[in-house]
Amino acid sequence: MKPEDLHLTNFFSAEDIVPHCGEMSRDEVIRRLVPNDETYKAVIAREELGSTVIRDGLAVPHARVATLSQPKVTIATSERGIVWPGESSAVHIVFLLLIPQNQPALYLQILRALGTALKDDQVLRTVAAMTNSGDIYRFFESGKAYLPRYITAADIMSREFLFLHDTDTLQVCVDTIIKNGVSEIAVLDRDNDLRGIVRAGELLRLCLPEYLLWMDDLSPIANFEPFAEVLANERKTWLREIMVDDFPVVKPDAPAIQVAGEMTRYRSPCCYVREGNKLVGLIRISNFLNKIFRE
Amino acid sequence: MIKFNPKLLLLAAIVLAVSFGGRMAGLAVNPTQQITLAVFAGVISTTLFFWERRVAAAFIGVAILIACHAMTLHTILKATELDIIFFLVGMMIIVGVLKDLGFLTWVIQTIINRRKMNGVSFSLILCVLSAMLASVVDEVSSIVVVLALVFQVCDTLKLRPHPFVLMAVMATNIGSSATMLGNPVGIFIGNKAGFTFAQFLVGATPVAFAALMVTLVLTVIWFRKDIRAMTLAMARHRKMGLGPALKIPYKTGLFILLATVCTIAFHHQIEHALALGGVENHNAFLIMTPLIVAGILMIWRPHRARHYVEKDVEWWTLLFFMLLFAIAGSLNAAGINGEPSITRNLADTLTEHVKGGATAMIPFVLVISSLGSAFVDNIVFVAAFTPVIQNLVAQSETYSILWWALLFGACFGGNITVVGSTANIVASGLLEKHGHEPIKFFDWIKIGAVVGLVTGIVAWILLLVIPRSPAETDRETPAPAIVEPAAELEIPAISPYEQK
Repeated sequence: MKPEDLHLTNFFSAEDIVPHCGEMSRDEVIRRLVPNDETYKAVIAREELGSTVIRDGLAVPHARVATLSQPKVTIATSERGIVWPGESSAVHIVFLLLIPQNQPALYLQILRALGTALKDDQVLRTVAAMTNSGDIYRFFESGKAYLPRYITAADIMSREFLFLHDTDTLQVCVDTIIKNGVSEIAVLDRDNDLRGIVRAGELLRLCLPEYLLWMDDLSPIANFEPFAEVLANERKTWLREIMVDDFPVVKPDAPAIQVAGEMTRYRSPCCYVREGNKLVGLIRISNFLNKIFRE
Repeated sequence: MIKFNPKLLLLAAIVLAVSFGGRMAGLAVNPTQQITLAVFAGVISTTLFFWERRVAAAFIGVAILIACHAMTLHTILKATELDIIFFLVGMMIIVGVLKDLGFLTWVIQTIINRRKMNGVSFSLILCVLSAMLASVVDEVSSIVVVLALVFQVCDTLKLRPHPFVLMAVMATNIGSSATMLGNPVGIFIGNKAGFTFAQFLVGATPVAFAALMVTLVLTVIWFRKDIRAMTLAMARHRKMGLGPALKIPYKTGLFILLATVCTIAFHHQIEHALALGGVENHNAFLIMTPLIVAGILMIWRPHRARHYVEKDVEWWTLLFFMLLFAIAGSLNAAGINGEPSITRNLADTLTEHVKGGATAMIPFVLVISSLGSAFVDNIVFVAAFTPVIQNLVAQSETYSILWWALLFGACFGGNITVVGSTANIVASGLLEKHGHEPIKFFDWIKIGAVVGLVTGIVAWILLLVIPRSPAETDRETPAPAIVEPAAELEIPAISPYEQK
């Protein structure tokens, strides 16, 4: 069976749905939804790393289970809401997901399908108000909640990212890198089109001309003499002079594996997601690994 | 996957024209020799049209030669000129160590530290440095070093580096002809002709020096506006300097370089002292010295030895050279039924049509090798032409002056176009890598053609004025040409000197 033929309801039946949980705590709901202690501990351990509430009213607690061969979904609903630690609003639908360890992308594919089924808050509240597990199952069955063929860059990218303009100076760039602890920053032009990036490594290269790097032993320049001139000119050096244009870029609809390929090819810690000329997202390698291996 | 490209049609046309033209002109007298000509033309054309695929073309070319009985595996291996490859490997490792030790950094730093310079003096220093470095290391290492200097100075002064890149490249190509160390073409010709290092130096350096002086004057006039702009920029920038003022240790590197060059210079005496005589040991210490020095350096710096061998040796280029030499060697193979080789036929045709002997043939060889080198890698032409000259020299010793015509034609002709020499291609790539637009083909050819023409005339005049340099009068027995027929088991190898 191809992934695009898989429907969300392939992973659960009406018996796996617990409607109207009432005023249970998070841990009690999870305990009710998982098959054994070991899985319970794994799901709670994941929750302790960070809340799995993906939007108001919807939580997706999950764990990767080595012994599982097929994904397993169990659902709990609560019209009054479940208090979720660390969240300001109550959760109305708990979509508990157990994923086989050897299918790293499946979690994100199921999330996409779930997003299609519960497309807005109104639908979410309607489902939470259903009292019969058969009704809830039929709701999911009737929708077009198919798993996408693959996860895309847009599924894993962050929409919040740092950027500078090509008219900013080297001084601003160095300050931003130090303050935010990042190793590279996107550079936009005045139309906010992505023009290049500035890498911390390239800034070092700016200070150390290539002919100095030919030497194995750099002790003759131990007092950072080559840095002096760059330092003296940092307010007069514009980012457009030092930015580079060879960096990993993908479109939002590119498969996530393409992101991995681009980051590997460029040995870069980030991949930039561009739509037209606009930068729409950023994928850091740590986020990528987290999404694929841990979440 | 190779997409259809009109250049493919042109390549096929050239291959067919050379193959059938060679048959009609009497150079290829049987189908096997026609295939040999076709393979050679195919590999040359690939270097012209599909530079990135030249090694692939050479692989396939060698396979075709074996499959068609033009060469045997044994003769192919023998024709790869491993002695020259070893020499180049040794020199590349030594240059890697010189870089590592900071010697080449010191060369650049010494110029950057100079406070009183103007555009003209910088141009003079740049050209002389390019030529000198090219003559003692190799043209590619030299151009990488001098362009690092050009970029440092031009980036600091915010000037276009293009005119200075062109000056440096042209001086590099000319300087690379001055010694056997400067260019693979030099060691190839020197070894084939049987010159010692000293004989080569005496024969080549004066001509290279004269050509350099003429080129200096030409380029300073040609780029006078850019040089004037540099003078003004340097005056404005005098207080800041052209880069960080550093003291780089150089003595160890300088000692290694001088020791290597001196040992190579006295290779002939060392061979005599060790009783390494005869054709089998011809130029043995010329070839072995870089390997010995490289070996000592790698024992001294074992933690970097693998780096030198893996990163500093241009294996891609050397592999291409080996296969190219093998393919060129096939032109010199006698026919399966004892017919003369293609190069022998070409030599006979030349002596028949070019009346006036060696003197008349100098401009012919200069022009052919210059034009050839302008469009394909000069080593390709030299490898193909060498057996022709060997055949001519076998007919008359006076033709030995053509070795010099071939050397200067190949090196000076490399200045004509952007693809004329490896140094040009490396320089063009470095320009792009530093974020500058590459030099346009016609911008290059305008100054390149002038320099190529004038330096060619200088070489011609000097070869006429000094018709019998010590290099010819004291020349050793040339290395034997490769003339083993394909069916080596049936017909014994015949040297070109014995064929007639």
